[in-house]
Amino acid sequence: MNGKVMVVTSGKGGVGKTTAVANIGCALAARGKKVALVDADIGLRNLDIVLGLENRIVFDLIHAMEGRCRLRQALIRDKRVQTLFLLPAAQSKDKDAIMPEQMKELTGELADEFDYVILDCPAGIERGFKNAVVGADSALIITTPEVSAVRDADRIVGLLEAEGILEPKLVINRLRPDMVKRGDMLDIDDVIDILAIDLVGVVPDDETVITSTNRGEPAVLDGASRAGEAFRRIAARIEGEDVPFLSMEAPGFWWRVKRFLGAGR
Amino acid sequence: MVFEFMSRILGRKNRLGSKDLAKERLKLVLAHDRVSISPQMLERLRRDLASACAKYVDIDEAGMNIRFDSSDRSLALIASVPVIGSKQSTHTSKKRRGKSG
Ligand SMILES: Nc1ncnc2c1ncn2[C@@H]1O[C@H](COP(=O)(O)OP(=O)(O)OP(=O)(O)O)[C@@H](O)[C@H]1O
Ligand SMILES: [Mg+2]
Repeated sequence: MNGKVMVVTSGKGGVGKTTAVANIGCALAARGKKVALVDADIGLRNLDIVLGLENRIVFDLIHAMEGRCRLRQALIRDKRVQTLFLLPAAQSKDKDAIMPEQMKELTGELADEFDYVILDCPAGIERGFKNAVVGADSALIITTPEVSAVRDADRIVGLLEAEGILEPKLVINRLRPDMVKRGDMLDIDDVIDILAIDLVGVVPDDETVITSTNRGEPAVLDGASRAGEAFRRIAARIEGEDVPFLSMEAPGFWWRVKRFLGAGR
Repeated sequence: MVFEFMSRILGRKNRLGSKDLAKERLKLVLAHDRVSISPQMLERLRRDLASACAKYVDIDEAGMNIRFDSSDRSLALIASVPVIGSKQSTHTSKKRRGKSG
């Protein structure tokens, strides 16, 4: 096993896990890496539609796990970025249909073939979470700059630690520079100060995330999307590149994101 | 006056943004989440702490305040214990301990 197995998780629902998996995965694949995206949100399949691959599903994760098809058959290859693959979640089953050991075996098998295996974790901290993290060797925690999301993210840091996943990386999603400027939204410093984990990227709240999702084309494929640019930078940092943090433009003024953790040093 | 006016225009420091409140509240709640101590245990801790302090100084137990604080994922127990007065001397406190023990 030589690929990296990375889980994208948050605790709180709806903060952007699926969006992040689709975009970061697509960006890594566009850099020439072989990437498998695993939708571990059993029963609430979503990654397929965000990626625009919903019409191509024949087999899913549970079929592969139960030996009803070969793993290779369940993997859908993206037509735009040839090194990107999706293993869709089962839609008819629920999260209890699989056991952590099975998941570990599956991710291990994928890691033999892919450079990156990225798992889209369901919201919550129950079985579905356990299944998604059990085979992972690293984690990305997604949060938004809001009290409930940050609190849940903190909980996740502790739970990941208990699973042996240390030093998770943080993505702050849906930041609104205008609100930060007014003092009405936690800023990047605040969130890092509170969670005390390393930052890997900041994604602005951006309409193009919604329009690109409407089309089933990850924002990273749109050169003009600010969120897409942020996700491309995250992919580069995951690859070990030292990329400066984006300076974000808010309506009417420039707002410079401070540099953290030695980025750009 | 002028300075105040300027700083109001430039800094907006006078108005506490809602994020400051958010941060303060989060820090407090997370410190407690992280220790995950039950209210019962917290109460026992408070009482033990009070009796320990009372051996050396006269305290106002009702005015005591304990909480957890965390920075950089390490935790601290912060206790404020109002002291009304000190025990007469180490001599008397020794005598007292001698009596009770
Ligand atoms: N940076 C962003 N700017 C604008 N909208 C965003 C951004 N990130 C995510 N969204 C929107 O937020 C919603 C939730 O995103 P997403 O489905 O990725 O969250 P999730 O964490 O996977 O949710 P769940 O917990 O239900 O799986 C979607 O409608 C998505 O388009
Ligand atoms: Mg999701």
